[in-house]
Amino acid sequence: MTDTPTPAGAPPRRALARQILPYAMLSPAVLVTLAIVFFPMVQTAWMSLHDYVLFRPNDFDFVGLDNFRAALQDEVFWISLRHTIIWIGTTIPAQLLLGLVTALLLNQAFPWRPLARALIIIPWALPSVVIALMWAWIYDSNYGVANEFLLRLGLIQQAVPWLADPDTALASIILTLTWQGFPFFAVMILAGLQSIPQSYYEAAAIDGASTWRQFWHITLPGISGVMVTAVLLRMIWVANSFDVIFVMTGGGPGYATYTLPLYAFLKARTNLDFGYGSAIAVLFTALLMVLVLFYLRRTGKAVQ
Amino acid sequence: MKLAKTTALASALALCAGLADADSTVRFWYHFDNADNPINDLIAAFEEENPDITIEAENIPWNSYYDQLYTAIIGGNAPDAAMVKMFAQPRLVEMGALASIEDYLADWDGTDELQANLLDLTTGPDGTQYYLPVQYVVLYLYYRTDMFDELGLEVPTTCDEFREAANALTRDTDGDGQTDVYGFGFRGGKGGHDHWATFTLGREGVDLTDGITSDAGVAGTRFVADLFQEDGVFPPSAPNDGFQEIIGGFKAGRTAMTIHHIGSANGMVEALGDDVSAAPVPECGGGHWTAFGDESTAIFSSAEDKDAAWKWISFLSSEGHNTTFNEATGQLPVVKADSDAWSLHPQRFVTATVDSIPFANLLPNVPETSDFVNTVWPTNMQRVLTGEISPAEMNAAIAELFEG
Repeated sequence: MTDTPTPAGAPPRRALARQILPYAMLSPAVLVTLAIVFFPMVQTAWMSLHDYVLFRPNDFDFVGLDNFRAALQDEVFWISLRHTIIWIGTTIPAQLLLGLVTALLLNQAFPWRPLARALIIIPWALPSVVIALMWAWIYDSNYGVANEFLLRLGLIQQAVPWLADPDTALASIILTLTWQGFPFFAVMILAGLQSIPQSYYEAAAIDGASTWRQFWHITLPGISGVMVTAVLLRMIWVANSFDVIFVMTGGGPGYATYTLPLYAFLKARTNLDFGYGSAIAVLFTALLMVLVLFYLRRTGKAVQ
Repeated sequence: MKLAKTTALASALALCAGLADADSTVRFWYHFDNADNPINDLIAAFEEENPDITIEAENIPWNSYYDQLYTAIIGGNAPDAAMVKMFAQPRLVEMGALASIEDYLADWDGTDELQANLLDLTTGPDGTQYYLPVQYVVLYLYYRTDMFDELGLEVPTTCDEFREAANALTRDTDGDGQTDVYGFGFRGGKGGHDHWATFTLGREGVDLTDGITSDAGVAGTRFVADLFQEDGVFPPSAPNDGFQEIIGGFKAGRTAMTIHHIGSANGMVEALGDDVSAAPVPECGGGHWTAFGDESTAIFSSAEDKDAAWKWISFLSSEGHNTTFNEATGQLPVVKADSDAWSLHPQRFVTATVDSIPFANLLPNVPETSDFVNTVWPTNMQRVLTGEISPAEMNAAIAELFEG
C-alpha cells in the first residue's frame, strides 16, 4: 500500500485531480470551438451594430440597431426571406419523402441490393459545386438534356430557360437540392428500419394486420426517432447552404433565387458591406433558432 | 549548452536576414484563363536578368479576383503587385492600398514607348499615377458574314439598323417551328453592362453619373428590353448568360451577332473561319459608346521591396515582353513597337479595334462603379428583362447608386 489516507482537513488531492481531469480532457476541444466558432459569432454580432464597409477600413462607427432597421425596410430582405421559407419548406419534405420511399425499397430483399445501396449514396457524396455545374448544364436552354427530353416527349413546345426565368429558377434549384439530399434520409432511415425486430411484423401478421397497418403502427414509430434527428440536421444544413444557388444562378435572375444566407454573403463579400451583411446573418440565425426550438418542442412531444 | 543554442539561433536568424537582404521576393497576382499559363516563361526570363529577385506569381480565378484582392488587403496579406482594372482604382485608392509610381515613371526609359494617352486614361482619381498599363482591348461587334450575305444585310451602324438586322437574323432555319438562330447574344449576367451601355450611354446627354433618368437614358434601357421581350432576338437564357454563354452561343451558330473584344477573336476564327468578322458597335440615339477594356499592373503600398516590384511590372510593359504577355491573354500590347509588329490576330479584328478607339470610354472613376458592375447593374437588368420592373425603375436605381 503506497496510498496513505489523507489527514483530516488537508485537501483530498486525488479527488481534486479526479474533478479536474474531465475539464482538462475537454478543454482543447472547447478552446478550439471557442476560437473558431464562438469568437467569429460574437464578432459578427458586434459588426452588425456598426457601419463597417471593408474598403473604408478606418471608419468603424457604432450605429446601434440601424442596420437591423434598414434590413426590415429592405425589399430584398423580405424577398430573400420569402424564398428562404419556400426553400426550407419544400426541400426538406421532398427529401424526406423521397428518402423514405427509397429506404423502404432498399429494405426489401432483391438481387444486387448491396450495389443499389452503394449507388444511391452518390448524389450525397458529390461536391456541391460539381452538382451545381452538372445541373446547370442539364437545365441549359440551348443544349440542356432536360429540354431535349421534354421536347421529344412533347410535354413542352419550346425550350424553357429553366434558370433564366424567375418563375422556374427557384423550383429548378430546389429540385437539384432534393436530388442531392435525399440519400442522406434514405441511409438514415434504412438504418432505423433495420433496428426494428422482425418478430414485431410476424406478430402483427398473425393478428391479421394489413401491410399499411404494419407500416403505420410498427415501421413509422420505429423510425420516428431517426427521422426527427435527420430532419433537424438537414433543416439546419439546407437553410444555411447557398453554394448550389451561388454556382447555378448567383441569386439571379434579378432576386429570383436570393435566400437570406446568400444575400448576407453577397452583401459582405461582393459589396464589402460587412456591417449590413452581418446584420442579415444575425437576423437569419435568430429566425433559424426559433424554427429549430419550435420544431424540437413539437416533435419531442409527438415522439414521446 | 544554452549559450551554444542561442548562438546557433542567432546565426540562423542572421543568415535568414542576410538572405532576405540579398534576395527579395515579389508576390504577384494575375488572372489568365489560358491553360498553358505562359507566365512561367516571362518569370524565367525576368529572373535570369535579375538573379536577386524571385517572382511568386499566383493565378487567381477571375470570378472572385477582386473579392479575394480586397479581402487580402484588409487581412494584411496583400500581394506586392497585381494586375488591376480601372473600375477598382477609386476603391483601392480610398483604402490607401496603392503605391504611387510617378517617380519610377519619370526615370524609366519605357515611359515614352507606351502608346499615347494610355497613361492619361489610367491616372488616379486624385491625379496621381498608380497604374502601369499592360494590355488593352476595345469592345466591338462580332457578326456572321455568311448569315449577313445570305439575307442580303448590311452591317448595322445605328441602333435602328441593328434592330432591323437582329430581327431578320432571328430565324427558324430547319423548319421545325423552333427558333434556331437568334439575332444577338446579349450578356444579361455579371459583366454585361458593356452591352447595355452601348445602347444607352451613347445617347445625347446620358452618362452614368448624370442624366441616366432622362428620357434618352430610359429609352436606352427600353431598347434592350424591347429587343428581348417584343422582338425575341436574344436567346431565352439571356438574363443569366455570361461570357461563356455568349461566346459559346456565337461559336455554335446560335447567335448571329454579339459584342466582345479581340480576346475571343482567335477562338472564333478557329470555330467559324471566314464566316466571322467584326465592326464597330452601332451608334445609338445620336452618339457612339463602346467600352475600353483596360488592364494595368500596380504596386501595393504594403510591398516590402517596391523597387523589385517595379522592376517586375515594368518588365511586363517593356518591348518584347509585352508581346509575350499579350500572346498569353489574347489582348493588345501597350508598347508602340510591340503593337506595330503585332501578328497574333487576323487584321480585320485589329482594324475594328482601332476604328473603335475614338469613342471608347471607361466607366466613371468613382468608388460606386464597383457596386454598379457587380450587383446593381446585373440584378436590375435581369429584373427588367424578366418584366419585374420597368426600364425607368432600373435607371432610377442606377441614379440612386451614383448620386446617393
